[in-house]
Amino acid sequence: MLLFSYLLMSGITTGALYALVALGIVVVNKATGVINFAQGEFFMFTGFVGWMLHVQFGMNYPLSFLLAVTVGFLLGTLTDRIAFRPIAKTDIVSLVLATVGIGFILKGLARVIWGGKADYLSFPPITSPEPIMVGSLMVIPQQLAVLAGTIIIMLIFAAFFRLTRAGKMMQATADNSRAALLVGIRTDRIYTLAFGTGAAIAAAAAVLTAPLTLLYPDIGFAFFLKGFAAAVLGGLTSLPGAVLGGLIVGIAESLAGGYIHSSVMELSPFLVIMIVLVLRPTGLLSFRKARRV
Amino acid sequence: MPFGRRNVFLALLAIGAIIPAFANGYQLFVGNLVTIYILLAIGLNILVGYAGQLAFANAAMFGIGAYATGLLQVHLGWPFWIAFPSGGLVAAAVGTLLALPALRMSGLYLALSTLAFAQATQWVFLHWERVTFGAGGFKTPQLSFAPLPISKPIGLYYVSLGLVVLLYVFARHVVTSRTGRAFVAVRDGEIAAESLGIDLLRYKALAFGISGFYAGIAGGLYSALLNFVAPEGYDLFQMIIHKATIVVGGMGSIAGSVIGAAIIILVLELLREVKGLQEIAFGALLVGFVLFMRGGLITVLRRYLRGWEEPLRIKGGESTETPPRAAPQPSVVDK
Amino acid sequence: MRKRLAGPTTLFAAAFVVSAATAQTPGITADTIKIGTFGALTGPGYLYGKLPMNGVEVVFDEINRAGGIHGRKLQLVREDDRCDPTAAIGAVKKLVEQDQVFAIIGGGCSNATFAAKDTLEASKVPTLIFASVHDGITTPPAANIFSTATTSTIESQAQLAYAIEQGAKKIAIISMRDSWGRARYTPLIEAFKAKGITPTADEELSPDANDATAQVLRLKAAGADAVLMLLYPKPAAIFIRDAQKLGFKPLSLGQTGIADPAAFEEQVGVPGATANFRTISQVRYTPEDPKMDKWRKLVEAKFPGDRLSVYNLFGIGSAEVLVEALKRAGKDLTREKVVDAFANMKDFATEVYAAPITCSATDHRCNKGPAWMAKEPGGPIKVLGFTVVGQ
Repeated sequence: MLLFSYLLMSGITTGALYALVALGIVVVNKATGVINFAQGEFFMFTGFVGWMLHVQFGMNYPLSFLLAVTVGFLLGTLTDRIAFRPIAKTDIVSLVLATVGIGFILKGLARVIWGGKADYLSFPPITSPEPIMVGSLMVIPQQLAVLAGTIIIMLIFAAFFRLTRAGKMMQATADNSRAALLVGIRTDRIYTLAFGTGAAIAAAAAVLTAPLTLLYPDIGFAFFLKGFAAAVLGGLTSLPGAVLGGLIVGIAESLAGGYIHSSVMELSPFLVIMIVLVLRPTGLLSFRKARRV
Repeated sequence: MPFGRRNVFLALLAIGAIIPAFANGYQLFVGNLVTIYILLAIGLNILVGYAGQLAFANAAMFGIGAYATGLLQVHLGWPFWIAFPSGGLVAAAVGTLLALPALRMSGLYLALSTLAFAQATQWVFLHWERVTFGAGGFKTPQLSFAPLPISKPIGLYYVSLGLVVLLYVFARHVVTSRTGRAFVAVRDGEIAAESLGIDLLRYKALAFGISGFYAGIAGGLYSALLNFVAPEGYDLFQMIIHKATIVVGGMGSIAGSVIGAAIIILVLELLREVKGLQEIAFGALLVGFVLFMRGGLITVLRRYLRGWEEPLRIKGGESTETPPRAAPQPSVVDK
Repeated sequence: MRKRLAGPTTLFAAAFVVSAATAQTPGITADTIKIGTFGALTGPGYLYGKLPMNGVEVVFDEINRAGGIHGRKLQLVREDDRCDPTAAIGAVKKLVEQDQVFAIIGGGCSNATFAAKDTLEASKVPTLIFASVHDGITTPPAANIFSTATTSTIESQAQLAYAIEQGAKKIAIISMRDSWGRARYTPLIEAFKAKGITPTADEELSPDANDATAQVLRLKAAGADAVLMLLYPKPAAIFIRDAQKLGFKPLSLGQTGIADPAAFEEQVGVPGATANFRTISQVRYTPEDPKMDKWRKLVEAKFPGDRLSVYNLFGIGSAEVLVEALKRAGKDLTREKVVDAFANMKDFATEVYAAPITCSATDHRCNKGPAWMAKEPGGPIKVLGFTVVGQ
């Protein structure tokens, strides 16, 4: 039983990490219909920025966090201006490739700027690094911080989409951009907001988890892959779906590693996804749309 | 007087045929790579550009072809000339199986499930060590053209070039035939296509199978070019390169695939000059290309070279209906 | 209607053709020697490519400042292989046939270098490998290829020997399943067999892993008292951190992939967790050691923003060996003489390697004496001794 609890706990904390990445992907997709393949690189790059502010320049943690999130937001809006707005009407493969290009640029930049400093940059945790007891389990406090952060971010965004005008405008644009234009919604501003927010989420996730993940220019892609998988699993337009998907991916990995063998850990999320998609091809929590002819 | 696509390609073919006479070993190697990527691009374009299936498994098919060709030689002792087409057929068979999930999903969901398949294939390459030799890869037997007095690099180059010609002609034939029109019908509206009596399973399976075959053949040639097969070369970075070749060349254009593949491979080699800034330069080129040459180079060529016809192409850039989004095309039949 | 085949299309190919050099021995002129290097400049493997190359360049600068080798200055030409076998073959072909280099120092990622071995061998260019650990590169030895990287067999044997020497009874393995990890895993299993023991547990950890709870629990359940880690610093740090969290404190043995115990302690982040951690290093000193001040100043001056790291030191040590071989080959420089100089190098002491460099005609693995290091948590780094492994 203790084994199971530990595995579950570790699955939940890794899953929360994937969920954060997935949230960023879903926010952008909900408004624009595009999958931002650079989401992982946004995560990595803003993580480095946070490191630079907090560790290299010695700024305090909350300020570094805020600045990193701001930088993230700006990166997102820049991506929207360069790689999305001018080509919003082309096919999905070209759009994906444009975001991939942005990702490469960010990765190359990170390598040139910070690559020579060390192999993996460490980030001091905001809480004490000593493990603490929660119930009968030992937990690293930073992991609890990540979990709390994920829940807070999800709640903020759920409220945003449901309660604020901007959120409702985003949903309207996602549903039918022509109709949204017709009722006077500035869809281009919505797109910018969506990209900016998605990147800001990545930045928040990065600074929150950098103490646990160690920074390296290439960490982005692995996170993107799992985050994308989690987002699709949950249904690409559902925020709670993203969180659910992230948790499922994390837990599946952890349980498979603990009970079967660590060598299947990398495979299990993809097996789960293939099975779920065959049974529910539009993801777990996405509502069914009327079929368009 | 119209310049004509055929003449351009005959010219390129002529150049391709005489390159070994004045190229050094490095240039010949790159030339051979170009032929391999042309095959990959043509196959992918048939699947993504013509049949509209957003599949991310091409690099895995490439790997399956390379591994199959290599392993049939190493484990079963088959000669290259038999192992090689067999590798193509194995990849085609696996590709065809992917048509099954494609019936249930489309758009990004299909993308993810084919991506998941690609990751699973990578996992098998790494972990099934008894058969695939795992992460360290394995060397394949040196190819020899004996008793003909041709060195291996030159011989392999001509074999690749010949296959490119053959498979290019075959692809053009498929695309302008009934099958090609069926593909486009499936791409542009599945329900309408079905109502016209087009069997979705059959045509999707055909599209996946053909692109799998092309990728498998390319993989076999690749294994012979390197004399080495390892899991590295068939990952997601590869997949991005493949997609780039069809976007740069022009989706829905076989001729575009040829041009796109050549450009991407040559660009990757020319980027050697910027040393450590390669990633940044490559990313910038991708973004630049998508921004300024929507529809691919084919649209540019079409505009400036009269007589260049491209049937059944996706209209570059302009779309007359609501902007195509990644929102899931509900292809699940509401039962 | 037949049309004239257009001239412009030939430009396409023409842009790519370069005229051949006219030098007698390629890469040498009266006052320069062109040395080529290949490895990952971009991509995750850049630690084993770009950073050692930076170290090589710094050594070359020093030599050039002192007048060069027999009056010839050294020039470094870099090529990127992105850790990919195809790109490595392309890089080597370009260096040899297009850039026309005299000799090559390089080799980052294992699979990439191994794939390029045939091309290197056929070119007959004197080659010194500075980072790749794949045994297939040096066994069977190619006439012109030598290595100053401690190969994976050597390190794996050293790890097992040390664990047994420290009295461990239940030795477990945790490894990464990439080509680097497998290059170490296979000889490690052989080493176990040779000693007639089997690993108590055998787990896998991904280089991108962020959590090792499952692995730690399984190793702990198996009762392992020593764990041989075939991991890069990040997964190793995560493993040690999670082990500490779960109360599992075996003797943890690293290898030259984790060559800087001070940086590693920082990466683990939990105080005291590295008390039982020991690692091997090919280089005798870690970057913060005052003896490395000279190199630190040179690297940080030439590459602003970088910090001296062990990866730079790999390049520095290797370059010193190359420079020595070039010196010994004399003023009348030919490739054969350089190959001979390598093959006859005995007990050459460099400023950074743990053991003196010795090659032979039959054994081109020139660095066989890795040093064991430990760091008291919060204290200084101690060199515990050397393990010289036979064969």
